[in-house]
Amino acid sequence: MATDTTKEQSEPSQQIKQVRNIILGEQNHLVTESIKKEARTIVTDVVTEALHDRQKQDSSVNRILQPLIEDSVQDSVTHNSERLITSLYPLVGSLVRKSVAAFLSDFIEKTNQLLENSLTITGLKWRLKAWQSGVSFAQYAASQTFVYRVEHVFLIHRETGLLLNEIALTEHGKSDADMVSSMLSAINDFVGDSFLANDEGQKEQLQNVRTDNFNLLIKPGPSALVVAAVIGNPPQQLSNQLQVTLENIHHLYVDELNNFDGDDQHFTNAENLLRDCLLSEHKEENDNERKPWLAIGVLFIVFIYAGFQIFNWSRSQQLHDELIQLENEPGIIIRKLTVNNIDEIEIDVLRDPSAIVITQWLENHDFNIENISILERNYHSLSPQILSLRAEKILSTFPKVSSTWQGNTLSLAGKLSAINSEQLLSKLAVAGFSEELNLNTENLQLISSQAITTSKQIKQQIFEDLISRVSSTQLNFPVAGEKITTKMQVSLAHVFQYIHQLELLADELEIDIGLLVIGCSDNTGSKTANKALSVKRASNTAQALINKGLSKDKIFTAGLGQIDIKAIKNTARKVMFNVIYINKPDIDNIEQSTQ
Amino acid sequence: MIQKKICLLGASSVGKTSLVKQFVEGIFSEKYQTTIGVKVDKKALIVDDEKINFMLWDIEGNDRYNVFEERYLRGAAGLIIVVDQTRASSLIEGLDIHTLAKQVTSCPAILAINKSDLPSTWHLSSQEQEAYNDLFSLQFNTSAKTGAQVENMFLALAELLLKDKRNDVTTK
Repeated sequence: MATDTTKEQSEPSQQIKQVRNIILGEQNHLVTESIKKEARTIVTDVVTEALHDRQKQDSSVNRILQPLIEDSVQDSVTHNSERLITSLYPLVGSLVRKSVAAFLSDFIEKTNQLLENSLTITGLKWRLKAWQSGVSFAQYAASQTFVYRVEHVFLIHRETGLLLNEIALTEHGKSDADMVSSMLSAINDFVGDSFLANDEGQKEQLQNVRTDNFNLLIKPGPSALVVAAVIGNPPQQLSNQLQVTLENIHHLYVDELNNFDGDDQHFTNAENLLRDCLLSEHKEENDNERKPWLAIGVLFIVFIYAGFQIFNWSRSQQLHDELIQLENEPGIIIRKLTVNNIDEIEIDVLRDPSAIVITQWLENHDFNIENISILERNYHSLSPQILSLRAEKILSTFPKVSSTWQGNTLSLAGKLSAINSEQLLSKLAVAGFSEELNLNTENLQLISSQAITTSKQIKQQIFEDLISRVSSTQLNFPVAGEKITTKMQVSLAHVFQYIHQLELLADELEIDIGLLVIGCSDNTGSKTANKALSVKRASNTAQALINKGLSKDKIFTAGLGQIDIKAIKNTARKVMFNVIYINKPDIDNIEQSTQ
Repeated sequence: MIQKKICLLGASSVGKTSLVKQFVEGIFSEKYQTTIGVKVDKKALIVDDEKINFMLWDIEGNDRYNVFEERYLRGAAGLIIVVDQTRASSLIEGLDIHTLAKQVTSCPAILAINKSDLPSTWHLSSQEQEAYNDLFSLQFNTSAKTGAQVENMFLALAELLLKDKRNDVTTK
């Protein structure tokens, strides 16, 4: 039955063929010509559908159209750019915005990556490993970051080993591609010929060259090879993609491959096909949930540190301000104050022994003494407070002397024996008091009561001392001057004091005393006038002393006139003092011996 | 850009590698040559304003059997048979190699009589010269040491190949 059916089916078709032959026979061209006439109409009717169907079938329309469109666009740009600009103008704004945004986000991502790669232990480890294996850090990082990534795709002519086209992920290392292709072909030939052919008599082909982190996937076709240089572990999907690309290239470039004469121009457009092979896959690392903890951590530490420093600085500043108050204390000078830290303070001071003790002051002001190293040296302060303290201390041993302050001048009052008076005045002089500056002893009276207890020898000594003090006092007069000035009054007050003390001592020692007041002059002018001037000076001086309370009958005045000593004769405008004293017992002895 | 595969053939020590070295700067170590029998280098030339890339396959010579790796001749656009003018035997070997190569490829071959800087120990008689003219498209006396005629030889080969190509186009 089956055979019958076939016969029945084949018969009509044969019959039609026969009929066609009978009708058209050798006149077949008539049909073709008539079809040609209508070709345009026929194609017009179905061209869109045909393109659609073919695209659906094997996607080859796209690949054919792509270079055509690219050429057309290039042509438009060259010859009719104005029109293109008009069409593109509304798009450009948003394009620029989009690309700037993309650039920024890419930049931030890269910066974060850089930070991560540079700062993390992983980053450092990768650098070390990259260095050990002799590859660049970028390459090693890529191998660690990607499951795989296609770096470079070559299209190589099978017969000649010449490079037809290539596409690389980066520009890096592109120049050697043609040499690599040839060498790879040579190696492929070597492998193919050096080992046994397989069962079907075909030569063995290299399919894969593999190192630890690097793969060379080779897809051989009858006329060309597609080779992909891959970092990481390429999946089957990539191999499939290479196969599809290779098949497409063979399909589209069949003539060019067979008639290849060394000109790679024909394969320029194959780049689009090769681009499909630049695949990659990231290692999964919950990238979406990750926050830049590292950057946050670094920032946090920086802030904490800065905050700590600012706190330290302000606390140190505060301490410094508090400590510097120490200088307000009398008798203390801060030479250097260094606050290195809250617990590291150095202070270098000068201190008067009468001033407050530094540690005491620090304790009073609630400072922790353990944190403060003190370098203290003593000095002698003349500040009024310290002088006052010192005077207070000295005067405490002289209960009979009262003191008052008139401004910065210490006025003493009371009664003291000559010796105590001497002691007091010398102590005060050491403490920084002098009668020229800040001491007034006018109201200090000398009494003799205590002198009785003092030995005669000491009294004798004080007596002589006072005499020499009187003798060393001189008044200086201006040229032709005879008046007693205020300054002279001060000296005269002293002389008066000394004489007063001498009188007291003289009584006890049984001595008679008298004061000689001797005037003299320079040698300008006549001798007579000078003589008169010197007498006048002496008598004026004596009068001043009498005014102070000295008894008139104890003073003898004399005028010497000019002094003919070469060295002084031009300037000796002076009044000098001398004390004449006579021991009463001595006189008695002399009188007795003469009798 | 035009690319051409050029193979250098000849007995060992005639100076094939030196000729290539004189002409190019390569990236591969010569170790490859002893490992798989060939090393590839590249040289870009400009002939009549046209850029042409020579991929130079320097194929290892082998004295003992006068054999060579013929697989590397596949797709070659030109052959350079290198002989040594200080060793007459190298010419015989070169001719043998040429005969073998012609069985595999029909591309043009040129004869490079190398080491022209040294005194020659043999000369081609006019009869031989004529016979070889049929065998070889061109003939050069080169010196890899001084560089004499090396550049010229490669340029002449490039011109020859481009001319062939143009002829092909016109005959098509």
